[in-house]
Amino acid sequence: MLFHRYGKFTGGIDLPEEKQATIDEPISAGPLPDELHVPLNYSDQMPPASPAVSPGQAISRGELLARATQGGLDIFAPANGVVRDISTRDITLTKLRGQSELLAREPVRDWEKLSAEQLRELIREGQLPTFRRPGEAIIDWLEEARRHRSGQLVINAMEDQPFVTADHRLLVEHGPEVIAGASILARAGRIGQVTLAADQQKTENYQHLTAPAQAHGLERVALPRRYPIGADNILLSVLTGREVPCGGKAADIALAIIDAASCFAIYRWVACGDRLAGRVVTLSGPGVKRPGNLFVLFGTNCHELAAPAEGPLVIGGPMIGSVASARSVVGPGCDAVLALEPTSPGVATQCVRCGWCRDHCPTRLNVAVLNDLYELGHVQPANLLGVLSCLGCGVCSYVCPAVLPLTERMRQLKKSLHALPGRDRTAEEKFARHMRRRGTRRRWLARRKKTKTANHE
Amino acid sequence: MDNQPTQLDNLARAGLGVGSLAHAPLLRAPEKVRTIFLVTIAAACLPLAAGIVFFGYRAAWVAAVAMISCAAIERLYFQITHIPSLLGRSHAYLTGLLLALTLPPFTPWYVVVIGSAFAIIIGKAIFGGVGHFLWQPALVGRFAVAVIMPALIAPPAASSLQPDRWPILAMSHLVFGDIDQAQPIRRYQGWQEQFEKDQARFNRKKIRQLPSGYLVEHPAAALARLTDPRHEPAYSALARVRADIPGRKPTALSQLPPLKDMLFGARPGGIGETCAAAIIAAGLYLIYRNYVKWQLPVLFLLAAAVVAAVAPVRLAGPGGSVEWVYFPILYDGLNVPATLGAGFTYVNYQILSGGMLLAAFFLATEMTSSPVTTGGQIIFGLGCGAVAMLIKLYLDTPIPAYLAVLAMNTLTPTIDAMWRPRLFGQRHFAWLRK
Repeated sequence: MLFHRYGKFTGGIDLPEEKQATIDEPISAGPLPDELHVPLNYSDQMPPASPAVSPGQAISRGELLARATQGGLDIFAPANGVVRDISTRDITLTKLRGQSELLAREPVRDWEKLSAEQLRELIREGQLPTFRRPGEAIIDWLEEARRHRSGQLVINAMEDQPFVTADHRLLVEHGPEVIAGASILARAGRIGQVTLAADQQKTENYQHLTAPAQAHGLERVALPRRYPIGADNILLSVLTGREVPCGGKAADIALAIIDAASCFAIYRWVACGDRLAGRVVTLSGPGVKRPGNLFVLFGTNCHELAAPAEGPLVIGGPMIGSVASARSVVGPGCDAVLALEPTSPGVATQCVRCGWCRDHCPTRLNVAVLNDLYELGHVQPANLLGVLSCLGCGVCSYVCPAVLPLTERMRQLKKSLHALPGRDRTAEEKFARHMRRRGTRRRWLARRKKTKTANHE
Repeated sequence: MDNQPTQLDNLARAGLGVGSLAHAPLLRAPEKVRTIFLVTIAAACLPLAAGIVFFGYRAAWVAAVAMISCAAIERLYFQITHIPSLLGRSHAYLTGLLLALTLPPFTPWYVVVIGSAFAIIIGKAIFGGVGHFLWQPALVGRFAVAVIMPALIAPPAASSLQPDRWPILAMSHLVFGDIDQAQPIRRYQGWQEQFEKDQARFNRKKIRQLPSGYLVEHPAAALARLTDPRHEPAYSALARVRADIPGRKPTALSQLPPLKDMLFGARPGGIGETCAAAIIAAGLYLIYRNYVKWQLPVLFLLAAAVVAAVAPVRLAGPGGSVEWVYFPILYDGLNVPATLGAGFTYVNYQILSGGMLLAAFFLATEMTSSPVTTGGQIIFGLGCGAVAMLIKLYLDTPIPAYLAVLAMNTLTPTIDAMWRPRLFGQRHFAWLRK
């Protein structure tokens, strides 16, 4: 097997894998619910689209439901049905007909004959979101990678969260399509090198990917599973040795990273002409009667999906996910719906300065000192300590023996920092300020020379 | 945007006590702070057990008084001030136990209570309790007792004729003997050998009864006379020159316990300071459990050993002259292989003879009063070791290792603020590149 072996990162923690319930379950059709609450924005980062239909209108699958506002995406119907209600957050479809099954599709277009500009135009027409949290439009992600002249595209198939097996099953059953989708993205963005990063312990399931990977010139890398190697910045630092600057993105160091489900969606759209109307969701956890990997349409209510499950539902993995409210729906970023046991970790006590949070932090933040700053309310010094490079992985809260909600506190610090009317928060802003300053001095020198010559005359 | 600081304030105020599963991550590791304190108490019971074996039931009495008075004073303080004391009780027991380990076994109970009061109130409570204090609280109590009432923690039957002689029990009276009934002896070749000699004399009816204990010169006092410039050096070397040769001064090795006694605890000292084997075993267990980073105690002892190896020593030369020996580790008379195969060296004795091992493994490694980062703990350990050995060699103070730990604890916030390793994504040597 031609998987290369790579290095490690500091910190992190070995979590129990907990994937045995669903790792061998093939992708099956999810339930077709009575109502779909299709959200008007695929993630909170994007503005909601403006509805283009009216209540009572009959809709067919793939029809435009809402038009994109500035910076957002068009919303399309996941199934045939009738519009029942339109609110500010979602459009409710009822009387649904169709299936929520991931059917095989034949390619209708030879994408290898298209140029990069044509591919980008096609992707823009597709209005697809990235299938991860935080979500953005794939075309925006691609344009940013192209603007920063990214040289390497990494497909993040690590899936290091416990319980989650959605991307793994996608690779096992539709692996060649994922690889083709990544090649499409690389061609469209003029990215030279493509790397697929997968879990070292699952490589025997990916044997059938050797031929497609070699055909498309894709490099495959197997990495040891230590949480949070699946975090973008950590994965990039392990693969390339380059670290994303504090507050910056992967594009700042000329790298691009995407997940497997987005590549699959791109292949489906570009080669087969079909927009994916849902995604693979892992339904797992001790409270779920029949765990499995289901293909679920966007807008399915999470509680309906996990119907006879007891206990609180978690969207996403247990380390970076959130607790589902009664109205939470499956979106592109929801790769797992888990019913975990409702145990309370206990009452938070004082920080005893054991230092375990800092020892296990993958970005080497001094979380104990940041926690001090949070408790004192000093927000600006946290910027100097690099809190903007916090991944939100949750390892500090996991190991804290005093049960402090450290991850949440770091998130609050980051939010307060972004809300401050300050300067220099990203590398881009710093560079822009530097260039402006240089421009100022040049203009001052030019002005001085002009007055000097004027005085001379 | 205006209400962002207010939200932060509310969250900061509500931060303590919010333990719900509302935020990610929704998994938690099972180990909690109370477990840390209880396991540390259990580990510290090993040196305590060794102390009870060699010093008798009074050591257990001192430990019990210390732990109970610490817990009682903690509870009383927080009841009077109406501040909730989180994790207070288990940490108070730990403080009491560590305070007892540093005290001599003949300490009267009221001295222990006063030490506990200083430890809890000044060392812990006025700073805000667990997680907020600056100094190791047990050491604050020990220091207060050493300063305020040094006469009350002097050994019994100490007089100007026998300065600094501390009691240990004889082999026949272990665990249940009374440490206050120690008999004086003149020269101490070794604990076991002394007992066997006394047993022979008792059998031959030369003495009326077996002594229950011995008053032995504290090894730190014997070693102090090698470096204290105010006294005339009493010894010509540690091992080389014999005392019965006329005109020569006696050797220090004849006044010091053999290495086996130093390692296993049959020597005078605080309750938990004497048995090096117990302290090292308990310390290794704490390192295995990840409560203590191994860099701190190892570098503490390493720095202390290096300072002891190179710091100059005064030896009596021929004809009453005094010479300063630099690099004592290279001096022939100071490093002698003993019969048991374990080499006797001057550096070994300096490390083993005070509270240095207890300070390295249990007192300097207190989580709250030591730096958070590993690099900071390395600086802290090196500083503690060097300062401890320098105070021990050249200053005439009773508790040199504990004073060194207190001094470095004072510097802990500075170390924490200044030691900032490169962050993720930061350029190398960014602090130089301004």
